[in-house]
Amino acid sequence: MRAAAPSVTWTFTRLKLSLLRNGLRQSSGRTAAFVISIVLVLLLGAGQLLGLILLRGSEHAAAGVVPLAALMALGWAVMPVFFPSGDETLDPTRLVMLPLRARRLMPALLIASLVGIGPLFTVLVALGAVLALAHGAAGVVAAVIALPLLVLVCLALARAVAAVNVRLLTSRRGRDLALLSGLVIAVGVQLLNLGVQRLSDAGGLSALEPVADVLAWVPPASAVAAVQSAGEGAYGPALAQVALSAAALAVLLWWWFRSLDRLMTSPDASTVQAVTAREKSRGRTGRKGLTGLLPHSRTGAVMLRTLRYAWRDPKTKVGWASSLGVGILLPAVFAAQGNGSVYNACWVAGLLGIQMYNQFGQDYSGFWLVASTISSARDAYVETRARMLAIALIAVPYVTAVVVAYSLLLGEWQAIPEVLGLALGLLGVLMATGVYTSYRFPYSIPQDSGYKNVAPGQGSLAYLSIFGGMAIGALLCAPLVALTIWLHLSGGHAWLWALLPVGLLYGFSAPALALRGAAPRVAARLPEILTAVSRG
Amino acid sequence: MTLHDPQQQLDATDRRNAAAVRVRGLRKQFGGQVAVDGIDLDVPSGRFVGLVGPNGAGKTTTLSMITGLLRPDSGTVEVAGRDVWRDPVDVKSRIGVLPEGLRLFERLSGRELLGHLGALRGFPRQEAERRTSQLLDTLDLVGAQHKLIVDYSTGMRKKIGLAAALLHNPEVLFLDEPFEGVDPVSAETIRGVLERYTGSGATVVFSSHVMELVESLCEWVAVMAVGSIRAHGPIGEVRGSAGSLHEAFLHLVGANGRGTPGDGLDWLGGGSRSGGAE
Repeated sequence: MRAAAPSVTWTFTRLKLSLLRNGLRQSSGRTAAFVISIVLVLLLGAGQLLGLILLRGSEHAAAGVVPLAALMALGWAVMPVFFPSGDETLDPTRLVMLPLRARRLMPALLIASLVGIGPLFTVLVALGAVLALAHGAAGVVAAVIALPLLVLVCLALARAVAAVNVRLLTSRRGRDLALLSGLVIAVGVQLLNLGVQRLSDAGGLSALEPVADVLAWVPPASAVAAVQSAGEGAYGPALAQVALSAAALAVLLWWWFRSLDRLMTSPDASTVQAVTAREKSRGRTGRKGLTGLLPHSRTGAVMLRTLRYAWRDPKTKVGWASSLGVGILLPAVFAAQGNGSVYNACWVAGLLGIQMYNQFGQDYSGFWLVASTISSARDAYVETRARMLAIALIAVPYVTAVVVAYSLLLGEWQAIPEVLGLALGLLGVLMATGVYTSYRFPYSIPQDSGYKNVAPGQGSLAYLSIFGGMAIGALLCAPLVALTIWLHLSGGHAWLWALLPVGLLYGFSAPALALRGAAPRVAARLPEILTAVSRG
Repeated sequence: MTLHDPQQQLDATDRRNAAAVRVRGLRKQFGGQVAVDGIDLDVPSGRFVGLVGPNGAGKTTTLSMITGLLRPDSGTVEVAGRDVWRDPVDVKSRIGVLPEGLRLFERLSGRELLGHLGALRGFPRQEAERRTSQLLDTLDLVGAQHKLIVDYSTGMRKKIGLAAALLHNPEVLFLDEPFEGVDPVSAETIRGVLERYTGSGATVVFSSHVMELVESLCEWVAVMAVGSIRAHGPIGEVRGSAGSLHEAFLHLVGANGRGTPGDGLDWLGGGSRSGGAE
């Protein structure tokens, strides 16, 4: 490189701006989303800024602010793994062909990182954090140093993580991880929610003090803590805390530099990863475990595949995880709010029952393998039944456990037979309607896009399938519910236990009848189902 | 039809005289566009048969309808003497399919997929495992047998798809573009397996637009263009007086009437390069 070579910082900043602008040009929906999120971020940022400034002077200010800084850094660290599409310049392999050395690329990329909604929010939070703690001249000086330090550590962290994990990010496993991002957000929000609730129960921010004391020495939160220390006149610790964050920044930059340098000078190895350690273990289990327990027949094979998909296919996994998670969380939330009715345990049955919906759509165009091996109504019957059995294998014990645990938690153990009967009846009926909608209204679940769960043009079909099916399911459950209400109203409490056998019978016969009715139609409609599920 | 009894041992010459596939008036329309326009075809059995045609000729649509994956608007298909659309029970166990553009169960490993299909086809575990091992071995997939199919390369995908199509030892094998995107080594492996398979009296129908490949592999070809069959028969007949199948093909699909390709690009190349000045 010649010494006079122009700086590339401005070029990369422009690139980032162009990417942002062109992304918005793609669709008006995206523009709307962008405008809404920028307004939201500004509001939220201003709100927290105000909140943090109000915190000023509170003796627990540091207890709130220091963990906040740490949380923000954590967010930046996981961002490249779960949301790689958030920043198109994150993937360094896109830049390695440029005639640039890592040393020139790094400041440019770091500055370019500042463009975007996320960085804007980060700067606002960092500003609030230091403002909340800066007292006196020394505090202000420390704040002026801490603010850029905190932001830079966050940006460098994201870049370094992206550069080190580039193999993962550009691989299939990386894309699988990105699909789980929705789950990460949901879980994160719930944990945050729970944390805030715990804090308000435990008497405010002071509860965080032990955590904050530790985090005060963990960069980059230590930079924020330094502002507090400086304000209190503890110059020694303040200096140490700033130095700690600065050292962390230096280490991160060096780490980033090393991996960037290696990426730019070593040949592309993206197609060489023939065998990885993880894969060696797969399939060697042979006949142990599930493979050995399930019969070697269509039933066993289809059940095994369904269960394997529940674990290995990211979209199916998200579906299962949300059904299982929400199913247990919902009654718990109701109970926490004081609406603790034992019947809330039926939610879990409802959520697991809809796993049977759009069964063939989950295969995507791989359904041709199923279609080409089904030659009679009997084959279709066995295939569909096996899928249902696989779901029941997880759902029945889970629903039972949730109902029993929840009833015991509420101290209403005598309600167990009744609620269990209702829940299993509902599960069976929903699976039965799932069989029907699976063959009557199949729709494709595109596999290449993480956020599209319906192919273009099939949206109404999907809604019809899910909501129509659920409405019919509710209607079919009406007699069971009516019986429960009647027993309660007519004073037949002594007979409430009878709902268990009735519910079991209901939950067993509804799918059995649905399977018998559906099998010949599945067999007759195979090409139509294949066409529907291969779309997109 | 001579193949009414599946158990009957027919010698190779008998099988050669029967039609493996009999298509009559097959037609499919997507919206306003006719993809396959009423084709009639008798594919002889025990041969290596090529279905050739340019992109969009209707090869994939035709093969999908013949193999029971796409319902035709009208027409009949018989494979090994059974009507595909009226008697699927018998047909599906007699044909093997390798479709183009459709996925496999991507989240199973290669070995798991074959084991799964073996169970779906009703083989006992031992037999399914024996066939699986041999197929993986022959198709050079042993090293990748525990890898998920989603991580397979194009060539490996074609090979595992071929293994899946061969697992139940079908009488007729339909392969849509089996050599598309496949490296020469894998192509040679596939070719070897297919030659051995037809040698035992089975029929292979495959679609392609690589004429050299078709010429070197097939004894019999059908040429498709714009949804209809332009010519069919033993390769020598179809080639006719043309120097190669390639030339005959271009003539048959009407590509020769358009003049020399690139006539409209008079600016392209040496002479007019310097700023457009003549």
